Amino acid sequence: MTDSHLTRRALLRYGAYGAGAAALTGTAACWDRLTGADIPGRDDGSLVVATLGSAFDPAAVRALQEGFRRVHPDIGLRVNAVQAVDWSDFFAKILTQIAAGTAPDLVYVATEGVQLFAGQLGVPLDRWVRRDAAELREYFADVHPALVESMMYEGSLHQLPVEFNAADIYLNKQVLARAGTSLPPADWTRDDFTALLRRMKRSSDSHFTPYFWTNRLWGGVVPWLFANGTNLLAESKAPGGDWLWDTFYPAAERRGRGGGFRWTTPQATDDRVAEAYDYLASLIRDDLCTRPEGGNGSNLVGVFSTGRVGVTPAGGFWAGGLHLAGMKPADYDVQYFPRWRTQRMQFGAAGYAMLRTSTKQDQAWEFIKYAARKDTLTRLFRANQTTPARRSMLTADRYRESGPAHWQVFYDTLDRFPDTGPIPAPPQVAEVEQVLLKHTGTALASSGAVRPALRRMQDDLETAMERDA
Amino acid sequence: MTNTRIPAVRPAPAAARTAVAPARRGGRERGTRLLASLFLAPTIVGIVVFTVVPIAGSVVLSLFHWNVIDDPRWSGLANYRETFGDSTVLVSFRNTLVFMVLAVALQLLIALALALAVNGRMPVWLRSVFRSAFFFPLVLSAASVSVVMKYLFNQDFGVVNWLLGLVGISPVPWLTSEHGAMATVVLVYVWQQFGFSFLLFVGGLNNIPKEVHEAASLDGATGLRKHLHVTLPLLSPTLLVASVVGVINALQVFEQPYVLTDGGPGDSTRTVVMVIYETAFEQLRFGTASAVGVLLFVLIMAVTALQFRLSRRFVHYQ
Amino acid sequence: MSQATLTSRRVRYSLAPWARAAVLAVCALLTLGPVVWTVSTSLRTPAESFDLPPTIVPAHPTTEAYRGVIDQIDVWLLALNSTLVTALIAVGQMITAGLAGYAFARLEFRFKKPLFGLVLATMMVPLQVTIVPVFLVLKSMGLTDTLLGLIVPAFPTAFGTFLMRQYFLGMPRDLGEAAMLDGAGPWRIFRSVYAPLAAPGLAIVGVLAFNYHWNEFFRPLILETSGQNYTLPLGLVSLQGNLGTGSVSVVLAGVVLSMLPAVAVFVVGQRPLREGITSAGVNR
Repeated sequence: MTDSHLTRRALLRYGAYGAGAAALTGTAACWDRLTGADIPGRDDGSLVVATLGSAFDPAAVRALQEGFRRVHPDIGLRVNAVQAVDWSDFFAKILTQIAAGTAPDLVYVATEGVQLFAGQLGVPLDRWVRRDAAELREYFADVHPALVESMMYEGSLHQLPVEFNAADIYLNKQVLARAGTSLPPADWTRDDFTALLRRMKRSSDSHFTPYFWTNRLWGGVVPWLFANGTNLLAESKAPGGDWLWDTFYPAAERRGRGGGFRWTTPQATDDRVAEAYDYLASLIRDDLCTRPEGGNGSNLVGVFSTGRVGVTPAGGFWAGGLHLAGMKPADYDVQYFPRWRTQRMQFGAAGYAMLRTSTKQDQAWEFIKYAARKDTLTRLFRANQTTPARRSMLTADRYRESGPAHWQVFYDTLDRFPDTGPIPAPPQVAEVEQVLLKHTGTALASSGAVRPALRRMQDDLETAMERDA
Repeated sequence: MTNTRIPAVRPAPAAARTAVAPARRGGRERGTRLLASLFLAPTIVGIVVFTVVPIAGSVVLSLFHWNVIDDPRWSGLANYRETFGDSTVLVSFRNTLVFMVLAVALQLLIALALALAVNGRMPVWLRSVFRSAFFFPLVLSAASVSVVMKYLFNQDFGVVNWLLGLVGISPVPWLTSEHGAMATVVLVYVWQQFGFSFLLFVGGLNNIPKEVHEAASLDGATGLRKHLHVTLPLLSPTLLVASVVGVINALQVFEQPYVLTDGGPGDSTRTVVMVIYETAFEQLRFGTASAVGVLLFVLIMAVTALQFRLSRRFVHYQ
Repeated sequence: MSQATLTSRRVRYSLAPWARAAVLAVCALLTLGPVVWTVSTSLRTPAESFDLPPTIVPAHPTTEAYRGVIDQIDVWLLALNSTLVTALIAVGQMITAGLAGYAFARLEFRFKKPLFGLVLATMMVPLQVTIVPVFLVLKSMGLTDTLLGLIVPAFPTAFGTFLMRQYFLGMPRDLGEAAMLDGAGPWRIFRSVYAPLAAPGLAIVGVLAFNYHWNEFFRPLILETSGQNYTLPLGLVSLQGNLGTGSVSVVLAGVVLSMLPAVAVFVVGQRPLREGITSAGVNR
């Protein structure tokens, strides 16, 4: 007993020494890992680009980096693929870095954050765009003016859009067949839409819901507001921007374009807004539509690809997602959002914003140009994880293995409906989005809740908009 | 640190004490204090640098308007006034308290019942199987668990509603109605956390001398009555620890509502820590967020103090 | 009390173990069910992932989802980071908690009570409240966006200190007193009498630290900005895909992968972990 006790004690002691020694050597060996000194391009004056991690996989980031090195061997580049669940999460992280004085030079920013960055942190690109106009002519000729306009703020251009996603309607063809119908026509109406959902419901079992959507700024309630000819915030256009339109776009295409959107007075209690909510509430009441779920992480792709859902709004990014989920191009198709009072549709776009604090703005501009090149985007968007901003990249070839038959819908949403516009994203976007999600949840959680919820939404939006972001 | 100073600058009373006491004891006392300060240094310095200073920083920040980008602007108590006038913040405090009461009560109840059940007569292997099972969710990450649970609790496609359907219950709007969402967040939280209280109770029960139980049985006390009048009082110190730790954790709940419901529908599951996160990192109102943080800190202290006060009446030490 | 009632009571009570075991079994099923579902769904094809009733044993088991995880994130680097962070925090906490716990349990000094109160009070501080000032402190130390920035602030541990104090308090006082009579100084008493007995207690602190920090999400999310510095839980987020387009199976495969080390520690360290939690509730 005593003996074994002693041995155990000695064992423990040597064990402790051993563990201590191992920890020390381990720590020493990994010191560079612990201090981050082994990260190439760190603190050596490299250009730092922050991207949303979930949008670019490691291979894409590597391709981006290698391609840039070939074009600009003199400019060091470090790409930070920032991990975040959604855009607000992503911006939160970038802002923390800025607070700490470790800001990147360029940030990948979607429509949600364009004005927030432009108003407070960004540098207009006008100077460089003018200087390199000749070089950029090919780019603008390939990119729809609506996308460019969504990147303008008070007359200045803040980003070159590289990708976008409109809210189109995805339809599961298996469910369509079950309901004895086929792809609806391009000019279908809201009533056609309702009728389709009813047919789908009738022909399916109880584990099926015709229409599924997520509660978020993009692709949630807002497309219905657009279709009904209204918006959450009164929308107008800033003056200016002629310098760009006159240089790059023919008269027909630049008509009505301005210096970027202004989203100002909240109008949640507007009759047409209430009408859109009433419509969604009626779909929910009739079991044609799921209630909107909050929270991040989504099983939308899963339930759609397995035929538990027939119809859902999404953009070109879904083609990649459905491919990953094992869906074949023949299993689904895509059509425009149905017409109501209008057939104006909604999109969100993204590009690189240059930060005012950057000391390497000329190099940063070189990266922006590089990132908008066709060959760069082709390498980056190989998996169809989004819709390229360049029209010429949408080809039958691109969608042969991972795309719907009517892939043209993705870009035609802009070309055929030139008034298709960006989601309302003023500089106060974070609070606006939170208010929208919150009251949309309440409005549709129980019957008769729409109007009280919209009144509270209006109050909260007013408070949010009064704050200078 | 006073203890490491040379004797010459020592305060007089201490020097006097040293003089009176036998030399060796004085030396030992000095040695003890030196050792104590050396031993405490890493912890105390760490706490000061990474907790006390940041808290002070938060308090200072709560008196400023600061959006990270521009320089902070002095605002006095405006952030606190704003906080008390903001229905979202007030609702979040109510939600957090409701959550705390439900979660802690349920957690303690389940844990206690299972601990008593496991403590009963049964084969050793079976007991250890049960113990491991109840304890297992504790090793998982709250974020992962919430991601998984979001699938399971989905109203239309989730396994939970399917199971309920088997016994004839129509689909529950778990995540999409106000009460359902709160219930889901509580259930998911308790599912993961009850193992902690469970183990505390198992330990506490093991510590109750067998004779006490036997004596109680001889007096004719059985089942529930025995537990109510004999076991519970003896277990009360453990109950105190379990409820104090439970309350402190529950008041800081974040991951579950963040992933499961994002605070919705409406504000029905928005907790204080979520409001702090959103106000600071999404809306860039770091001053206001700090004010809410300070209020939450005060609330946690108050509830904990209250528990200890109440415990004087209900907790029996052997 | 009549003989009859006594018997009936005894009969009712002796029936209980049956029912008890059944109830316990149901509870255990409810507890483990979600875990089983996670593992089984991660082995199913995406098309089968939402099958109802859920097929616990997949009809066509496939490890495709795991390959997806490895393709989409740099699992090895993330695992190395997670391991470094967790292991060093565990070792660091064992040292700080062991020393401080001993001081609070066995040494006499001024301000002992308020200092102990201070340590315990840190448990009440929500991380989210102090993260911005902590970020600024780390910046002044040059530790932002480094793994050390995650590790160093986690060294002091309130719960660990509390545990170790309880642990040392539970050791017989006579041991130290005997050594003191032999002329041992306070260091000698610690070093050769109490410290050798503390190993099991330290193991508890280590396992608890591992368990907590392996799963930690919020601090890495805010503090680490370079992809090379991510820990596993952060990497898993990107599996959810752009705007939630990731496949369920891949997301769950990621969850299972990140769960494995925690499960390993659970199997190996279950006893210390259990004892750690248990001892916290025992009043001494």
